[in-house]
Amino acid sequence: MKRIVALLGKELADLRGNPAVFMPAIITGVISIVMPFIIAIAVPYFSGERLADSSDFKIAVEMYRTQPATRGLDAEGAIQAMIFQQFLILLVLTPVAGAMSVAAYAVVGEKQARTLEPLLATPLTTFELLAAKVLGALVPGILLALVCFTLYVGGVVVLAHPGVYRTLFLPRALLTMFLLGPLASLAALQMAVCVSSRVNDARSAQQIGALIILPITLLLVGEFTANLQLTSALLLTMSAGLAMLNVALMLVGIRLFDRESILTRWK
Amino acid sequence: MAALVASHLTRRFDARVAVDDVSFELAAGEIFALLGPNGAGKTTTLRMLAGLITPSSGSVRVDGRIGFLTEAPGLWDRLTVERNLLVYARLHGLGDPARAVDEALELFDIGNRKNDRAAQLSKGLKQRVALARTLLHRPDIVLLDEPTSGLDPESARDVRELILRLRHERRAVLISTHNLDEVQRVADRVAVLRARLVALDTPAALRARLFGSRLLITLQGEAARFADALKPAMKDVRANGRTLSVAVDDVESAAPNVVRTLVTAGADVVSVIPEEAPLEDVYLRLLGKEAP
Repeated sequence: MKRIVALLGKELADLRGNPAVFMPAIITGVISIVMPFIIAIAVPYFSGERLADSSDFKIAVEMYRTQPATRGLDAEGAIQAMIFQQFLILLVLTPVAGAMSVAAYAVVGEKQARTLEPLLATPLTTFELLAAKVLGALVPGILLALVCFTLYVGGVVVLAHPGVYRTLFLPRALLTMFLLGPLASLAALQMAVCVSSRVNDARSAQQIGALIILPITLLLVGEFTANLQLTSALLLTMSAGLAMLNVALMLVGIRLFDRESILTRWK
Repeated sequence: MAALVASHLTRRFDARVAVDDVSFELAAGEIFALLGPNGAGKTTTLRMLAGLITPSSGSVRVDGRIGFLTEAPGLWDRLTVERNLLVYARLHGLGDPARAVDEALELFDIGNRKNDRAAQLSKGLKQRVALARTLLHRPDIVLLDEPTSGLDPESARDVRELILRLRHERRAVLISTHNLDEVQRVADRVAVLRARLVALDTPAALRARLFGSRLLITLQGEAARFADALKPAMKDVRANGRTLSVAVDDVESAAPNVVRTLVTAGADVVSVIPEEAPLEDVYLRLLGKEAP
């Protein structure tokens, strides 16, 4: 554990020296925050047409009126609550995007900088190396997501109808943000680190790790098209699946990490 | 007792044999140089000794901790010198990492640069920091892969002095190098490697084996006219200007007779020293290439 902390400290110090690496995550975060406000607040404000007057949202209003937490909201508030909840899953992509560029360079970067060999000459185990690498990308990614979530909630408190912000603290919203999000990020990172320890090129790792974005995007589309409702039970089930996937990815990562090949065959 | 014993080390990469049946021992307080051309298997041997890669066959027995200086300094450029060392002190599980780092900074005279980022350091200073990192956990056996490669003469001298200090501290040191001058200055024994061990001995013994023992006598005046005086007893006498080079069986026992014979023949002897073939000639001959 001490060695993981030691290497994690190095990873975080290294990131502080190169904050630009988080630019893609910051851009993703800003887009994730701004988009629902444009749809739920700006468009109705500038067009002068309330969301509740649109026939597109009639079903949503009825659906949301049946839920205890949104029962007290008026029609416009209920639609805003629905939009802000659905876009929450987009915020989950922020830590993924943020950490991906870091994780993709995890092993390839050390090899290219010729810092890997002295590191491997220490008592550091493969598990410790990979764990530190994954955490080094995950921790700042999650911190960034928390900042984005705080801004999101703050924006909803200030700009949305009164009471809408409460829907962001419903179990399903919290599960999305604080369980599904970090677990999905972890899975993406582990995939990137696994690939990073098998390829000579960080871009390959980045591309393969980014595949995790696809299922998250599918969830978003499913919700938007009303084909899928992310209930707490479904979120918990998906999180359990992701947790198992993460354990499996760590085991696979340790197995795939071939010190000898990395040292002797990579140029 | 040997600090490190390599027995019949062999390493194959697919069909290519990088290291073939290499055996040697390394004693505490000894500096052992591994010489060889590019691709001779020096780095592969060091990696096997450090436990980074496993031998295809053969074994390594180690009595003590190993410190491995890799070919590149391998410092994290964005981190300070102190932080670079601190991470390694923690990875080695040292009891008081901060103190160990302070001691290393002082020992290697880099305390005034501890807050500089590694990227800001010269190549020589980077190598010094890397050496400090290698010795942080006080290893008994120190493996150095090309420690002075690419350094300017002053930095190379500093690193050589640090290596000599390791011998005084009774550590076993193995250097892989191309630098024959460095070997001449610091090594107690030399192994010449070209996948297999071509030779292994002290530099003096290798010279004697390949070139024989010779005396170099400087006279006052032309030396050629005194060569004949020595020839009845000495089989190989070469004159060049004011000097005579004479092949002998044993330098110490032959020197008095040679001087006596020359003085009797009327020569004024200025100096008599053992003649040492350059290590480069020894190395090239071992690899089957003659010096130009």
